[in-house]
Amino acid sequence: MIYWDIFRMALNALWANRLRSGLTLLGVIIGVTSVITIISAIEGFMGSVQAEINKLGPTTFLVVRVGGIITSEDAFFEMIKRKPFEVEYAEAIEDACEDCEKIAMQAYGFSREVKYRDKKLSNVYIRGAGASMIDIVDYEVEHGRFYSYEEDYGGRRVAFVGTTIQKQLFPNIDPIGKTIKINNLKYDIIGIAKEQGATFGHDADKIIFIPFNTFAKDFGTPRRNLTIFVKARSIDVLDKAMDQTRVVLRAYRHVPYDKEDDFSLLTADSIMEQFNNITRFMRFGLIGITSISLIVGGIIIMNIMMVSVTERTREIGIRKSIGARQKDILFQFLFESFILSVGGGLIGISLGVLLGDLLINLINMDMTPSLLAILLGIGISSGIGIFFGIYPAMKAARLQPVKALSYE
Amino acid sequence: MALIETNNLWKTYDMGKVQVHALRGISIKIDKGDYIAVMGPSGSGKSTLMNLIGCLDTPTQGEYHLNGKRVSQMHDDELAEIRNREIGFVFQTFNLMPRSTALHNVELPLIYGGRNREERLQMARHALEVVNLGERVMHKPSELSGGQRQRVAIARAMVNKPSLLLADEPTGNIDTKTGDEIMGLFAELHNNGNTIILVTHEMDIARNADRILFIRDGQIEKEEIVRRAS
Repeated sequence: MIYWDIFRMALNALWANRLRSGLTLLGVIIGVTSVITIISAIEGFMGSVQAEINKLGPTTFLVVRVGGIITSEDAFFEMIKRKPFEVEYAEAIEDACEDCEKIAMQAYGFSREVKYRDKKLSNVYIRGAGASMIDIVDYEVEHGRFYSYEEDYGGRRVAFVGTTIQKQLFPNIDPIGKTIKINNLKYDIIGIAKEQGATFGHDADKIIFIPFNTFAKDFGTPRRNLTIFVKARSIDVLDKAMDQTRVVLRAYRHVPYDKEDDFSLLTADSIMEQFNNITRFMRFGLIGITSISLIVGGIIIMNIMMVSVTERTREIGIRKSIGARQKDILFQFLFESFILSVGGGLIGISLGVLLGDLLINLINMDMTPSLLAILLGIGISSGIGIFFGIYPAMKAARLQPVKALSYE
Repeated sequence: MALIETNNLWKTYDMGKVQVHALRGISIKIDKGDYIAVMGPSGSGKSTLMNLIGCLDTPTQGEYHLNGKRVSQMHDDELAEIRNREIGFVFQTFNLMPRSTALHNVELPLIYGGRNREERLQMARHALEVVNLGERVMHKPSELSGGQRQRVAIARAMVNKPSLLLADEPTGNIDTKTGDEIMGLFAELHNNGNTIILVTHEMDIARNADRILFIRDGQIEKEEIVRRAS
């Protein structure tokens, strides 16, 4: 097969100019590596976010005062003027929504210092949540129990803590029954959550759940930041549950029939979609900027191939004189740029996947090598080889044998 | 039938405002088995004529038939195939691939001819044996003497058994003694029935041929018969 022989000639020519080929390869490697690294990292990041948001579960939705996609300036101002939530909403939804299984109010918390005797742990995330919360969110009881409706109703100072609290404040003892201090108020530990692990450098186990009413009593009701967590009975009735919830809220908030909702319902999907929208510009921007290095790699190939064609004009003349057709010469040079770009591409993909993995590990996320990134890398690099190689190769193929032979 | 027949060949180069006529109506006839020398001062047009006969270039005007085929109107790739099958070139400067072995240099026309590897290697080895380089097949041009390089070039020219061997000043870059060896090799090829066209400016070399064509100002000035073809 003549093309195989021509391919071997191309390999030999590249090998004969090892240093030059190596440097050209480096240009492509840098370009492909940076693009693959960025794509892998972004994919890993988005995947982790997705996993995090999916913890909400497919049947759960959130009712929030401000949220959802902001499409215009007017929509933004409408949102910030929305009325605060009332604590009664949770009960109202519970009464009127047939397809809602669990409802829990949550006061979006804050970070506080927590003390046990002489030990201190700062920046602990405090969540004031209803007793049903344990059935709605991803946290599970490892040891002890979650607080009851009665404890919530009575505003008891009890705490359900994450494993970081246990590890830092109670290294060798059972924390259940022990008393910790938050803002100098005493809370009894009644249960410990199963370990969540860290994501995005954020420790999901450095958390304390206290009953919603206790939170309201001790820290005030954050009416502007109330979130209602609702779990529908099944995925099939999710839409119905959301509609029922919407009806209740519209009635309670006196929304006229011809006006839009002045609150938002968020599902895992809609949150992910929002996150996608918000980060889209950043993601494509990053890929765009790194792609410049790919173009630079391509230009290096083109430049080297141009030099190579000029330098080997006489060789081309000889080949033509003994019967090489235009396409034989074309393919020889095209193979050379193709080998450079795909070779650089393959090395760049390996390096990029490795680097992407490293980057992702730095911010504590899981990552599997992205198939998309690999296919993209191979596609892009071979595309570059052909795109930037075709002009020099055509120039070589079209050389006049007489002129090429007499070239000094 | 004549191997080469040209009818009123013109080659004109457009140099901006001036038109340079390198060839002004050349009509020649060369038979199979002929040994022809082409002589002429530099600028006489002998190189242009060689390029046309060798199918490296096409005439501005006129007809050229090679082996019964009308090549004067052919396209690039058709000419490439003619060069591959019908013509073997021997250049003054050898024009070998510097980084390739003698064997690969000789194999090259067969690669472009689309022959398989086994056949190629066998033919290339045989061609190198014919020029007495059977022992040097794996040497690169830089490891060979000038005369040896030219013999590699001759092996490359002959490997495909072309109808025509075109030699452009083949002894120009080698010493007289080695040049005589090369001319001996040409005589042998001629005796075996090959057609040879030799371009030279040395009368001694030209006298090896049966017939000498003298070219001046793009025309055939005269023709001298050295000896009757046997």
